[in-house]
Amino acid sequence: MATVQVSEAEKVYIMHGVRDDLRVDGRGCEDYRHMEVETDVVSNTDGSAKVSLGHTDVLVGIKAEIGKPKPAVPNEGYVEFFVDCSANATPEFEGRGGEELGVELSNTLYKVFNNRHSLDLRSLCICPGEHCWVLYIDVLLLQCDGNLFDAMSVAIKAALFNTRIPKVQVSEDEEGGKEIELSDDPYDCMRLDVTNVPCIVTLSKIGHRHVVDATLQEKACSVASLLISITHKGLVTCVRKLGVGSLDPDSIFEMTEVRNTGTEHPVQTHTRTHTHTHTYIYISEHYSYFFI
Amino acid sequence: VPADRKRVRGPEESQCPLLFLPPAAQTAEPREPRAGRGNGEVRPLFARCGLVSQAKGSSYLEAGNTKILCSVYGPREPERRDEAGVRSGRLLCDLRLAPFSCGKRGAWIQGSGERDLSLALSESLHPAVCLHRYPRAQIEVNVMVLENDGSVLAHAVTCASMALADAGIEMYDVVLGSALRQDGGASLVDPDLAEERGNWLAGYEENRGGVTLSLLPNLNQVSGLHADGELRADTLSAAVRTCMESCHKLYPVVQQAILRAVKRKAPPPEK
Repeated sequence: MATVQVSEAEKVYIMHGVRDDLRVDGRGCEDYRHMEVETDVVSNTDGSAKVSLGHTDVLVGIKAEIGKPKPAVPNEGYVEFFVDCSANATPEFEGRGGEELGVELSNTLYKVFNNRHSLDLRSLCICPGEHCWVLYIDVLLLQCDGNLFDAMSVAIKAALFNTRIPKVQVSEDEEGGKEIELSDDPYDCMRLDVTNVPCIVTLSKIGHRHVVDATLQEKACSVASLLISITHKGLVTCVRKLGVGSLDPDSIFEMTEVRNTGTEHPVQTHTRTHTHTHTYIYISEHYSYFFI
Repeated sequence: VPADRKRVRGPEESQCPLLFLPPAAQTAEPREPRAGRGNGEVRPLFARCGLVSQAKGSSYLEAGNTKILCSVYGPREPERRDEAGVRSGRLLCDLRLAPFSCGKRGAWIQGSGERDLSLALSESLHPAVCLHRYPRAQIEVNVMVLENDGSVLAHAVTCASMALADAGIEMYDVVLGSALRQDGGASLVDPDLAEERGNWLAGYEENRGGVTLSLLPNLNQVSGLHADGELRADTLSAAVRTCMESCHKLYPVVQQAILRAVKRKAPPPEK
């Protein structure tokens, strides 16, 4: 993970600030940095989004391809995650340097989506046992300034919201051979239901308190953090202790409580961006009518 | 990628024959639920230290059909000088599932699932080991899962901490792992593989998931917490509490095994 060197004096300064609910950049312990979400940023993808959270920048592109369903679940499509830590973010990621972090992040994403309600995978099925849609979700870290997990999850949710999967029809000829036909109309497409897609909130323990959305400096002061991914209904889909330290059981219970208020922020920003994207799509549809 | 000729490789793509069972045979399992144990009961645990003679410390653990072997090498000089921490040592954890350990044959090369388990193991053990006592050194923990019958990470943590203790590595406390499977209203402690996977059709219902927790029992600190699935916040807190209780149930067995190993290494003076 990208790290910064923080001197002892700086650590004490940050820790005392956190104790008094005032962080170095003027935020309180439960405040997020300014978040910007932009959707439909890469034209070659089926859905894309870019999220910047302070100086953390994440770009997500989703491509849908037709594949074969997994034999254990013939009536469902599946999702593949890949996280690329580009050397732009920090020189440490050059060559294979970012691979370890990339694998850790993508494994966490598989865990976060390892349930039946986050995404309706049955809607990705084209022809049970033979063809299904495979969603390749590629995450690119452009800049890192802490809190990659949260930024990444918001970007994935926004990109999934933006994803348009072309509608296909399966026709059968006399010999029983199946043929997949793609609709001629490029606007005839299927959208995914993202209401249950979870957001990640990472709480870092600094001194006796915990903060959300830690910057790299703050992360250097914390020995352990708790990652919690939560849906808008308040269901927890993944929990992970990160870092080399241990946590007091009481502080875990406290953190899971705080999470309820902590998530409000990304969820709110989220709904706001969703309405933005709604208008955006609405406008683009209008334009298409205009051209026709 | 050049093929590894020394190893017998399976076909490129193969499926487990169990997939081709008629669906009725899959669902109608005549198995007795939990094989006669209550939901809150852990499986009987067998633990021994010092089986691998070459290693500095080793341990073997059996819980039901889950069988795990762990060996610890070090502290020793790291192979790459630039990676050595000047102030504190490095703890390298490597967890592998034997190719025959699961229902489906696995590859010899470490997959991403194993890498994830290794990372989880390392994060859970780290808080317990006094790494500042071993500057410029590395300690290697190798865990081999011989048979996977559920709760692998939890038992791997317990097994690895026993091996570390057997190797005489300075630690703040032993680390005990425990797993729980939430199936709707029922919380099954120390689930076996079938319970861990859950019933396929029931997967669409709510409040299902798995929790794995590692605990330092004397310091009362949680060194690892991993949960997935879909859990309500109150269920999660309850699951964490249940896991902590079941960790304490394992403690006497682990303590006894370590004590036995110590007594064998340094027999008490004869009167």
